[in-house]
Amino acid sequence: MDFAWLTQSLLNGLSIGSVYAVFALGYTLVFSILGIINFAHGAVFTLGAYLTYALTVGRFGINGLLAGVSLPVTLPFFPALLVGALLSGLAGLAVEQLAFRPLRRRGADPLLALVSSLGVALIVVNCIQYLVGAEIYSFPANIFGDLPMAVIFSVGGRPVAVRTVQVILFAACLVMLAGLWWGINRTRTGKALLATAENADTARLLGIGVNHFIRGTFFLSGLLGGLSGTLIGASFGLSGPYFGVAYGLKGLAVMVLGGLGSIPGAVVGGFVIGLGEAFLPADMSSYKEAVAFVLLFAILLIRPQGLLGGSLEQKV
Amino acid sequence: MSGLLENYGFLIVTIVQQALLGLSLYLPLMAGQLSLASLGFYSLGGYVAAIMGTHAWFAPWRDGLGLLLYPVEWLAALALGVVLGVAVGYPALRLRGIYLALATIAFVQVVGVAVLNLPIAGGAVGIFGIPQPFTTRLGYLWFFGPLFLFAMLLVHRLGTVGRGLPLLAIREDELAAGAMGVATTRNKVTAFVLGCALATVTGAMSAPLLNTWNARQGTFDASVTCLAYVLIGGSRSIWGPLCGAALLVGLPELLRPLQDSRMILNGLVLVIACVYLPRGIMGALAGLGKRLRAARSEAA
Repeated sequence: MDFAWLTQSLLNGLSIGSVYAVFALGYTLVFSILGIINFAHGAVFTLGAYLTYALTVGRFGINGLLAGVSLPVTLPFFPALLVGALLSGLAGLAVEQLAFRPLRRRGADPLLALVSSLGVALIVVNCIQYLVGAEIYSFPANIFGDLPMAVIFSVGGRPVAVRTVQVILFAACLVMLAGLWWGINRTRTGKALLATAENADTARLLGIGVNHFIRGTFFLSGLLGGLSGTLIGASFGLSGPYFGVAYGLKGLAVMVLGGLGSIPGAVVGGFVIGLGEAFLPADMSSYKEAVAFVLLFAILLIRPQGLLGGSLEQKV
Repeated sequence: MSGLLENYGFLIVTIVQQALLGLSLYLPLMAGQLSLASLGFYSLGGYVAAIMGTHAWFAPWRDGLGLLLYPVEWLAALALGVVLGVAVGYPALRLRGIYLALATIAFVQVVGVAVLNLPIAGGAVGIFGIPQPFTTRLGYLWFFGPLFLFAMLLVHRLGTVGRGLPLLAIREDELAAGAMGVATTRNKVTAFVLGCALATVTGAMSAPLLNTWNARQGTFDASVTCLAYVLIGGSRSIWGPLCGAALLVGLPELLRPLQDSRMILNGLVLVIACVYLPRGIMGALAGLGKRLRAARSEAA
């Protein structure tokens, strides 16, 4: 047994898994309230990464409408991360306004909401491409200031390296997950949110402002999406405006694996897929992108309600 | 006229081809099953034709068969579509609604990663120089036209004659249909497999049209575009997929002068159509027709 490899894979898996969890929570929150999957979540993820990039670096490449433009002020990474996340939250609100509210008001088929949210995703992604071009953007290497690039320690005589960004990913995601858990289970607002998710009509009768909570949920979902987008973007670079599409689908797999609409499920799903990818043998690494979907397909066949989901009732 | 056909030949052929993919998604939807697997099958069907058209193994066949090569490719793709459709359909159709949609998305993604990594599929570059039977794009209507007519007849029959009514019953209420003695599983799998078979054959016909085939042919985005054809065209009318494909394929071409911003407008069209045409174009036309008739009978 190679303990160095195991430790390394475990650390890598925990770090990426925590980001998947945070990202998938954005889907889960919206799904638990509305019962609809927001396909624009991947686009908000991309938008968050680009917003933070713009705020930290302030310069753009050679293509797109913003080519050669410099912003008058730039921010250090962490404040920019927060501002970018808040702006992503506003983008989440805009998605609700554009793609979901008009359909909800008309009582339309939920399938249409799927297509309209994809329409919004198309708009967002292509606007980004229009503005900054399709090239790859990388955050500067010294983005975290004076912190060392990586910590290297030895396990059983073999080196194991943990990059600073991985530690930051993991810590930031743990803080967010803990905050979210506290906010939902321990505050009045959170309980009202849970009530709305349980049954919107009853919640409305009990005097809970359901529309208010739907907006709040989309804001929170956008915020989580933007944050995870920035964290992934800062560690792997922004591979063009479409870089959120693959993560968007993976996030869906995470959410369903854990249990559609279950918040602890999204966290478990994120770690399972992150670890699954990390423990894939090196000679099969080209199949990494399929891990999430093979797991998704398998869980749907064995246990369609997901790892932590409640039983599926059929309405008669 | 001939100049027009030459300029717009590719557009016309693409509309029919995309309408076929829309129909392949419409088939399971007739039984109320939202499956997005079509593009995975389309991609695989294209690889069958691409490999049979270019790989050294098939060289003696190609010389012997001549033009008959193409129907043989379709049959091979059809066989693959049916076998794989049954293999995926039986387990997947235990799932309903959004779960089935997600399982089929997973299928498309796994197919995408697999073909990207299999040496025979040419990796990321894909397969080039697929033999082309026609010199003009419009010639491919000889492929797609008959398949389209056949598919429309099939869908029409399934929706109107005894054997197809179970599908509609399942769409309205699966439990009630089962209680009435409809073999729900068999009917759902049949509709699903017919859709898969149609998608693989469309893929096999499309590989020569595009001349090159790669993993980008079967993506999640394309699956959803196909769903949009059906929903925007009208999911309760067999003309819906054609109508939706004509609009969504035609629109970016008509908007080509706008270049970069045309995809933004395409997204806007999707959103606006969902809000203002909830039953699709065909649904809206049917509603309009009903209102006109009512107005006329009132006047008389």
